[in-house]
Amino acid sequence: MNAKIRILLIEDDRSICSFITTTLCNNGYLVTTAASGTEGISLAASNRPDVILLDLGLPDMDGCEVIQKLRSWTGIPIIVISARTTEQDKVTALDLGADDYLTKPFGPAELMARIRTGLRHQHNLASGRVYKALGLTLDFEKRLVTLDGREVHLTQIEYQLLSLLAENSGRVLTYTYIMNSIWGPYMDSNNQILRVNMANIRRKLEKNPALPQYVYTEIGVGYRMRENELR
Amino acid sequence: MRHDPISRLFRHRYPYAILLSFLCMAVPLFFYYIYCCISDAAIVVSPAVVALSALCFVCYTLVFLYILDHAARKSARQEILIAEHEKKLAEAEVEKMRANLLRAVSHDLRTPLTGIIGNCYAYLENGSFLQQSEKDELVKNISEDSTWLLHMVENLLTVTRIRGSNLSISTTEESVEEIIGEALQKLQSRHPGFEIHVSVPEEFLWIPMDAILIEQVMINLLENAYFHSGTHLPVDLIVTNSPDHVSFTVRDYGTGIPDAQLEHLFDGAGYTNNVPDAQKGMGIGLTICKTIIAAHNGTLIGRNHDKGAEFIFTLPKKKAGTYERKDSDTAHRG
Repeated sequence: MNAKIRILLIEDDRSICSFITTTLCNNGYLVTTAASGTEGISLAASNRPDVILLDLGLPDMDGCEVIQKLRSWTGIPIIVISARTTEQDKVTALDLGADDYLTKPFGPAELMARIRTGLRHQHNLASGRVYKALGLTLDFEKRLVTLDGREVHLTQIEYQLLSLLAENSGRVLTYTYIMNSIWGPYMDSNNQILRVNMANIRRKLEKNPALPQYVYTEIGVGYRMRENELR
Repeated sequence: MRHDPISRLFRHRYPYAILLSFLCMAVPLFFYYIYCCISDAAIVVSPAVVALSALCFVCYTLVFLYILDHAARKSARQEILIAEHEKKLAEAEVEKMRANLLRAVSHDLRTPLTGIIGNCYAYLENGSFLQQSEKDELVKNISEDSTWLLHMVENLLTVTRIRGSNLSISTTEESVEEIIGEALQKLQSRHPGFEIHVSVPEEFLWIPMDAILIEQVMINLLENAYFHSGTHLPVDLIVTNSPDHVSFTVRDYGTGIPDAQLEHLFDGAGYTNNVPDAQKGMGIGLTICKTIIAAHNGTLIGRNHDKGAEFIFTLPKKKAGTYERKDSDTAHRG
């Protein structure tokens, strides 16, 4: 039998801690908990978990600080769990290097899905040269996008945008991250060009752009593409 | 200060006073002319005449200056009074909204909390005698009530985004279809069986708004249609584009809104003096919608149509800062 996947939970609330631990243990994960940021960082260094679940509101330091410290030496997937609801908090955490976020409250199913996405990205980052979900396929080598078997014609920018999202399918990419990746760091902070391009992509891919099946909007944060079915 | 002709006159009162004085100099000069005619004296410009004219001119100027100054102060005082009055009215409006909200909250909080406490109590007291199915039922009730409570708290939290006594919000240009997409996605995960037919115009719509707030409005209106229409028939969400605004219609095909409730839909009072309060949550959601839409300078109405109820809200489009789509779109291609 394979070694269990180890998860580090950094969370100070006892009730939430016990609910997450129970859920994860029942799903076959090995959970270690830390009640403070300092403890969490030292446990991450000594235990080398596969995924870190991090609460942003910790008693001893700010969660964003923990992300910064962890990211200075490791690429372990960090999933932020937070009761903060403003978009800016999410964006800050993601831009600092967190892989994903979950807003409290969340259900066990959602938590498991995010952990699976995080693990997949850690192990298969370079593999998988084709993205497929529902009727959409994207072949990264041939630079070919097909929808229900028919080729979709995208402009250069639209293709770059879609392939960036497809490579990171299942994860939220912030507006800033996408803007920097595609238009470079010197583009102004106005992200409307990105959203106009996204609207054009949706018109080419989605049956009803207001009911997207492939690219979801996270208001004020960024975009998330449907999970790749081939991974 | 406003820029009507009168206030302009007050601001440039020196040149006006001098001009008026010049014109009025005609009167003493005319009298001097008459005097000369009557006394058969020659019209001479003696130093005495010049001195008298000058004195006259100065007196005139002073008098006019005093009059204009007085009038200016009076009008300024009036403007301050009007501004104060308007501020008081706005504050009263906000105060009214707060009171409505509080009334709705106190009612809506108590109901699910009573359910949660009651179910917990039943479980803890009688746990050993209960069948598994009965226990499941109790926990299910607790879960439903707390989920509902959570959605209400989310609703209340969104209102904290509206600041101060003038109901100001910070808006950015947002894409209508993205907001709808996200709202529907959330509803789909909350109520998997809930079917919504969406129709949006083909063109791409940008409207200045606070996206989180407008999303909340859509969720509230659609959830109301789901819970309170009395049916689970699909609900229509129709977006129509007009030159100066965009309107959103949420139309259900249920029992409609009772006439007695129609006039109190948005003030949170409709159901406190109503007989049944089985329809929990009608009040607060709509009150919040109204507050949000008012902060956007839009309109929100609720009414019945032939086969059910419909809620329509509009959001104004602003000309300033509209995005020139074609320019930057083509500029960055290839």
